[in-house]
Amino acid sequence: MDGYAGKMVYADLSARKVTIKPTPMELKKQYLGGRGFGIRLLTDMVDPKIDPLSDKNVVVYAAGPLTGTGIPLGSRYEVSTISPLTGTAMSANSGGVFGWKMKKAGFDAVVVTGKAKKPVYLLLDNGKAELRDAAHLWGKTTGQTTDAIMEELKDDKVRVSCIGPAGEKLVLFACIINEKARAAGRGGVGAVMGSKNLKAIAARGDLPIKAADEAQLNVVKDRVRKKIEENGIEKALHNYGTAVLINIINENYVLPTRNFQTAHFPNAEKVSGETIAKTILKKPKGCFACIVQCGRVHEFDGESGEGPEYEPDWAFGPDCGIDDLKAVARANNICNEYGLDAISAPATIACLMEMAEKGYVKHPIRFGDAKGMLKLVEQIAKREDIGNELAEGSFRFATKYGHPEFSMSSKKQELPAYDPRGIQGYGLATATSVRGGDHVYGYMISPEVLGAPEKLDPYVTKGKPQWVKTFQDLTASIDASGMCLFSSFALDAQDYADLLTATTGMKIDPAELLKIGERIWNLQKLYNIKRGLGRKDDTLPARLLNEPLKEGAPTGQVWKRDEMLDEYYTLRGWDAEGTPTKEKRKELGLA
Amino acid sequence: MKVHVKAFATFREVMDSQFDMDFPKGATIHTLLAELTGKFEGLGELMFAAPGTLRDFVNILKNGRNVHFLAGLDTPLDDGDVIALFPPVAGG
Repeated sequence: MDGYAGKMVYADLSARKVTIKPTPMELKKQYLGGRGFGIRLLTDMVDPKIDPLSDKNVVVYAAGPLTGTGIPLGSRYEVSTISPLTGTAMSANSGGVFGWKMKKAGFDAVVVTGKAKKPVYLLLDNGKAELRDAAHLWGKTTGQTTDAIMEELKDDKVRVSCIGPAGEKLVLFACIINEKARAAGRGGVGAVMGSKNLKAIAARGDLPIKAADEAQLNVVKDRVRKKIEENGIEKALHNYGTAVLINIINENYVLPTRNFQTAHFPNAEKVSGETIAKTILKKPKGCFACIVQCGRVHEFDGESGEGPEYEPDWAFGPDCGIDDLKAVARANNICNEYGLDAISAPATIACLMEMAEKGYVKHPIRFGDAKGMLKLVEQIAKREDIGNELAEGSFRFATKYGHPEFSMSSKKQELPAYDPRGIQGYGLATATSVRGGDHVYGYMISPEVLGAPEKLDPYVTKGKPQWVKTFQDLTASIDASGMCLFSSFALDAQDYADLLTATTGMKIDPAELLKIGERIWNLQKLYNIKRGLGRKDDTLPARLLNEPLKEGAPTGQVWKRDEMLDEYYTLRGWDAEGTPTKEKRKELGLA
Repeated sequence: MKVHVKAFATFREVMDSQFDMDFPKGATIHTLLAELTGKFEGLGELMFAAPGTLRDFVNILKNGRNVHFLAGLDTPLDDGDVIALFPPVAGG
């Protein structure tokens, strides 16, 4: 036993055929699992020239060796595919219970190819797998789908990862939802599921997940549990949820407001984690084996749901000029029910708000209009009226109306909740992210704003390329391991290496851990190059490079791409165009 | 001179969330924190690992700039300053 379930499912939807094969040892050694498995399998199998919404695309679900082993915060799985939004090799990460259930059902990964003639779902069932009809589930929300599958199987222990109506309608930023509220959120992974007529994957089982060295794993588990429990940051996540960031980001004058026109929202307190805690919060909630419990269960006016997490809280709130917390929570619930990415959906609405206010698009919506915003979320999910155009994402929408500069995106994916003008390293991380606009592929906010593991001056560019590279590589390894990224506020590379060594039996030290992450990063990059992306795409919207911030301490700051990009490429062993050199490819076994 | 103080997250469990304070010329962040920890029971323990040493990941902003990049606890206070006090927080 080595932490792995030991088997993988290949589901050919066109042939309606399921094959089970052993998980290859070489894949484990080189890529660990999760995002590593997904990106390797995907880039091996998919011709870079394909349309991501054609039957030639592939969807890979993969857990990591640390998923479901009882290690605190070891709950994650990744969904990888070619993104219809960005065109890049994409992975989206989710927590909850599903990843653990997938392994208890006997599988490290599921590889889905082809397209079903009629809607289907895949059941992973104690070492077996079968495709089942899902015509009766088509059109249902994620909650209805989950309940219907549990009812159909007469099993309240089965866990469901599914798409909602937005995925069926191929909204380019449709997501995948498990347990009704946990999202593999970004990049339109749900649209690819929809294009394949794959409504859901359900998992149940009670097969063992054992570590190579259980005794040693227990020793390391105790050590990491203690570090997490004693870390002040993890306590704040429990008490106030991720939205505790609203105030600190706002007070630093880097909270993007009204589609990044400013970076300070005067009414931020009204949508803050502190306000959530004293108004709509019913209780905290955690993923499998989580001792942090940063999730929020809310209840108000007869409505209940989960969240809002920091990102959708910001995007439906300050980015849309809205300070109505209940409207924000309601919008977040609609995203969960319909299966919409709760960053790209509101950020695309914010783009429309600015274009409408400035007269570039004829539409009555204005910043601060909560009622209008809620209507637009539903219209996007159903592709109704202007929602049909917004469903293509802000970049395609703004370009259609002749003004791509109003799309606050990178590689066509909407940027998250931090203004790069006042956080230079974060700007570099998101501009060079191999999945497009992003914050969790190298969370530079941690050292540059939160002060962990040490305080870095956010306005300074010097030294940032090295930090960005290290964070990106380490994050890729964490995503491959099955651990939650939030564990990294308390744990270091040695901790992950020790957890992996005890669990898998492979000797992994911090250097090897980072090497695996670097391999994954470079593989994604190489694939993106084959799809036509290059240096020109490693950038941010012109507003962030040219229009200085006008308020607070970062007044006058712009994002300084030219001071960092060449050094970053050099540190990565890439040429001036951002292409990994022959030597780098050979070093990583990617030649 | 008048300084506006704002407290966030767990600091609010032991102190008011915002208020004004008066200081003589020459006062610093250190002066302010000494006064606050004397006034609000439990704040000192939440804020300091040892006398004069802030706990890891505690952040103090002067008008949006982390005092760590100014003069630390010796950063002088100026009339009209907004001082924001954050315990360890994170998210994403």
